[in-house]
Amino acid sequence: MSMSRFFRDVKRFFNYTVYSSKAELKSEVADSFLSWLWWFLDPLLYMLVYTFIAIIVFRSGVPYFPVFVFLGLNTWTFFSKTMRACVKVVQAKKMIVTKVYVPKYMFVFEKIGVYGFKMIVSNLLVVVSMIIYRVPVTWRIIWIIPISMVLVVITFGLSTIISHFGVFVEDLQNVITVVLQLFFYLSGIFYSIEPIGKVVKGRVPAPYDTILVKLNPIALVITDLRRVMLYGEDPHWVMLGVWFVAGLLMSVIGVKIIYKFENSYVKVI
Amino acid sequence: MAEVTENAISVSDVKIRYRIFKKVSLLKTILAPHKYKKTELFEAVKGVSFEVPKGQILGIVGKNGSGKSTLLKAIAGIFAPDEGTIDLHGHTVSLLSIGVGFQNKLSGRENIYLSGMLLGFSKAQIEEKIDDIIEFSELGEFIERPVKTYSSGMYSKLAFAITAILETEIMLIDEVLSVGDAKFKKKSYAKMKSLITNKDRTVVIVSHSSETLQKLCDSILWLHEGEIKMQGKCEDVLPIYEEFMS
Repeated sequence: MSMSRFFRDVKRFFNYTVYSSKAELKSEVADSFLSWLWWFLDPLLYMLVYTFIAIIVFRSGVPYFPVFVFLGLNTWTFFSKTMRACVKVVQAKKMIVTKVYVPKYMFVFEKIGVYGFKMIVSNLLVVVSMIIYRVPVTWRIIWIIPISMVLVVITFGLSTIISHFGVFVEDLQNVITVVLQLFFYLSGIFYSIEPIGKVVKGRVPAPYDTILVKLNPIALVITDLRRVMLYGEDPHWVMLGVWFVAGLLMSVIGVKIIYKFENSYVKVI
Repeated sequence: MAEVTENAISVSDVKIRYRIFKKVSLLKTILAPHKYKKTELFEAVKGVSFEVPKGQILGIVGKNGSGKSTLLKAIAGIFAPDEGTIDLHGHTVSLLSIGVGFQNKLSGRENIYLSGMLLGFSKAQIEEKIDDIIEFSELGEFIERPVKTYSSGMYSKLAFAITAILETEIMLIDEVLSVGDAKFKKKSYAKMKSLITNKDRTVVIVSHSSETLQKLCDSILWLHEGEIKMQGKCEDVLPIYEEFMS
């Protein structure tokens, strides 16, 4: 029953959410004229840092390494920034929450819109560097569509659940920051967890590499994006399917929790 | 003589409970778990039923904490009642209040769109009314500047103009507002009065001022600790309420 309400509410608040995402991006740009440059500069500079560490310190020999890092970094930034923004999103929207009814998961959609747009912009770096490095593109590149869907569903599910608990748990922000930091290192942003084809060596010994990629959905998404975009390999279809279903399940749970408890939020914030 | 009246708001046996969640901290829960008790339930509205016929103006009175604002918010749909139903018979509703959260870095014009959409209006509907809103707000060319550059008076003028011009069929008013300088105050009060007294509009006003309610309302609902203490015409209810409160 609450799922039909979900679709009705999404339809009703869709225009507001799109406008509000745009407004947030716009207000960031309005702040300083060149701030959108940072959408490129951020990943570019971090890529240089990780390239330095990986090549000089770890003597890594991954082909197209800068593109490899961009893909990992942009995906990770989307996920972690959305999560962090959603922990306190209900408090941040206090002015709205206390005056009109909005289903609170619409704020999660708004953040996904904001950081998703930024991810797309910074992925232009991927395209440019793929051209510079003359990465041979295969037809498998179309698999980025289902892989991105898995990423969005997982991000929405987790962020929705987090946004509910963030209302009541004061120090959840601190916990999330530490957990995200751990997962940053476990997601293979500047190294490859598994070997990919014959060209990329895995950095985590078997069987832990497979376990890590299977249990950490973000590592899975990053690995598979690299496989289909850079190295012409098939993604892990079964695990992507499993995580897609798990993501849907988390989303349903998150939406149900929010419907059940959102009328109490006003009293706590 | 029985007259068939069309109801705009039907509230039947509404109960609203707050789960009193205390904010918790993971660290404190681990270090001092005994300090945390289970969540308690607090019933703010305890089974209230009433109806407001279309075009009528209902005033709600009661001391602080009697559940007036909670009831108003429930009618506005900010949260759902735990028991009972609130039926607005398909009418549009808005809670008139100062500012539905402006984005400070955006211009006044963009904020009009944002607030309007939040109130459930489509972009086309807002476009139709936007010139009236800007004119009423008296902001002139400031409308293109970021809201953060506004004085507090300009801010509340814009907020009032948005909710007053984007009219809905049911208006809920938590304390009659008067904003801005003396001139704008007069204008906003006059606008408010014309909104309220429009015979097609159904209005619910929460106020502590018997004088205002006497002037504006058709009937009065007196809430006391979440229950209806008395309901009826202004001249019947207000004197008893006054006496009770003094």
